[in-house]
Amino acid sequence: MDHIHWGLLIVSYLFLGGISAGLFFISGLATYLQETGSPIYPRIARVGAMLAPWPISLGSLLLVFDLGRWYRFYKLFTTFTWHSPMSIGAWFLLLFTVVALAYFWAWLPGDLVARAAASVPRRLRFLRILDWPGREGLRRRLAAVGFPLSLGVGIYTGVLLGAVQSRPFWNTNLVAQIFLFSALSTGCATAILALCLGGTALDSRGARLLYGVDISLILLEFFLVVPYVIHGELSPLAAQQALRLILGGPFTFAFWGLFVGLGLLAPLLLELWEIRPLLLDRGEFHASRILAAVTALLVIFGGFVLRYVFVFAGQMTSFE
Amino acid sequence: MRERLGLKKKRWVIVLDTRKCIDCKACVVACKAENGVPIGQFRNWINGETGGDYPRLFASFEPEQCHHCERPSCVRVCPTGASYRRSDGLVLVDADDCIGCGYCIIACPYNARYFNRETRVVDKCTMCAHRVDEGKLPACVETCPTKVRVFGDLEDPKGAPRTLLSTHRYEVKKKQTGNDPHLFYLL
Repeated sequence: MDHIHWGLLIVSYLFLGGISAGLFFISGLATYLQETGSPIYPRIARVGAMLAPWPISLGSLLLVFDLGRWYRFYKLFTTFTWHSPMSIGAWFLLLFTVVALAYFWAWLPGDLVARAAASVPRRLRFLRILDWPGREGLRRRLAAVGFPLSLGVGIYTGVLLGAVQSRPFWNTNLVAQIFLFSALSTGCATAILALCLGGTALDSRGARLLYGVDISLILLEFFLVVPYVIHGELSPLAAQQALRLILGGPFTFAFWGLFVGLGLLAPLLLELWEIRPLLLDRGEFHASRILAAVTALLVIFGGFVLRYVFVFAGQMTSFE
Repeated sequence: MRERLGLKKKRWVIVLDTRKCIDCKACVVACKAENGVPIGQFRNWINGETGGDYPRLFASFEPEQCHHCERPSCVRVCPTGASYRRSDGLVLVDADDCIGCGYCIIACPYNARYFNRETRVVDKCTMCAHRVDEGKLPACVETCPTKVRVFGDLEDPKGAPRTLLSTHRYEVKKKQTGNDPHLFYLL
């Protein structure tokens, strides 16, 4: 009777939701880090704000079309079931997307909004309110409101799996945190990638922030993945059997080679290498756009593989 | 008095005397006919196990279906409340409120739920609630030729389930998941 009910659509949604949460988190952080009243990292804050609402919107669409009856998705928002992780998550998702869109609007370049407002036809002139001058003042407040929501979206994707006591591969108290830190890390990497593709290399201050945060997050992931495996091995038989899927079973290469190796270890070493001059105060910092883009792609790829392995492997495990 | 007025709480259960099971699958067929279960999908099934070395052999058959748990994890994870537990213990799905997300299918330790291909929502054993409410037996119980299945009210002190469970050793499946399953297997 064992079937896979949640497939690639769910994997993609968990992945895209995590990226948005991470983008918002890093952008909010950059908005808050100020020196004499102005942000130190305006480019990072803006790129995060510009991108944050979109991956999760796409992910939500995928989620809706994964439902047996997609047009009933509104029922998620006519009810609130406090004991269902999915119900809590749906509300987090909705609130986060609304705040992320408002935050996007607050960070839109002023001249762009002014030009757009000027070209609005007379009949739609109420839209000109979008060119409200107090817009920029909302950035910090929206970041403050969005912080807990982004963390909620990031961690709930793991809680969704971890709270299922019938699947021993998921049912540990570490899965939620692995998903959270991976979400923030992939968001951070997406910001790095966007800055690289934007045409200019990172300056040394920006690099110190983005790489510093990402290195911390990757290290945190190590501190969760290793105990996850060790603790699982020291758990009741069902958990040990579940771990066989990544210890010799069909997901061994994906988990250790693609996620831990290519998705955590390789970018960790590359990022440490990149900011070595900043850490050691020796040598010249020369941001390499290609290296930064490759590093970011590895982190993003690793985040996808993590979710792929967990969603599929988890459904294959059960109590005997 | 409460009993005569029909106010006493009921708790419908099935007790299975699996040694009587001959794997004829009449219960599976009766269920599909009664409930219109799509071809290739099942609300109940029989776990068969054979083993040993010739000529010392064994065969055992265990019918299984939804365990109508006291603390069902499927109901806990349902985001819309479409999965619910009736006061008489039956775990049911309101097909009009189900959005077909599949979370309950994954959360059930017994894999007792399935995604109905025709209705596009989640479906499961109802213990034939529509028959039980009319005072009839569930289809699988009524049809079983070897009387493996005993249906009744666990709260009734003189009822068949209570009598069987008082006078036999029995087990429930996968109770370590904490669902408190109520499908009883006599040993």
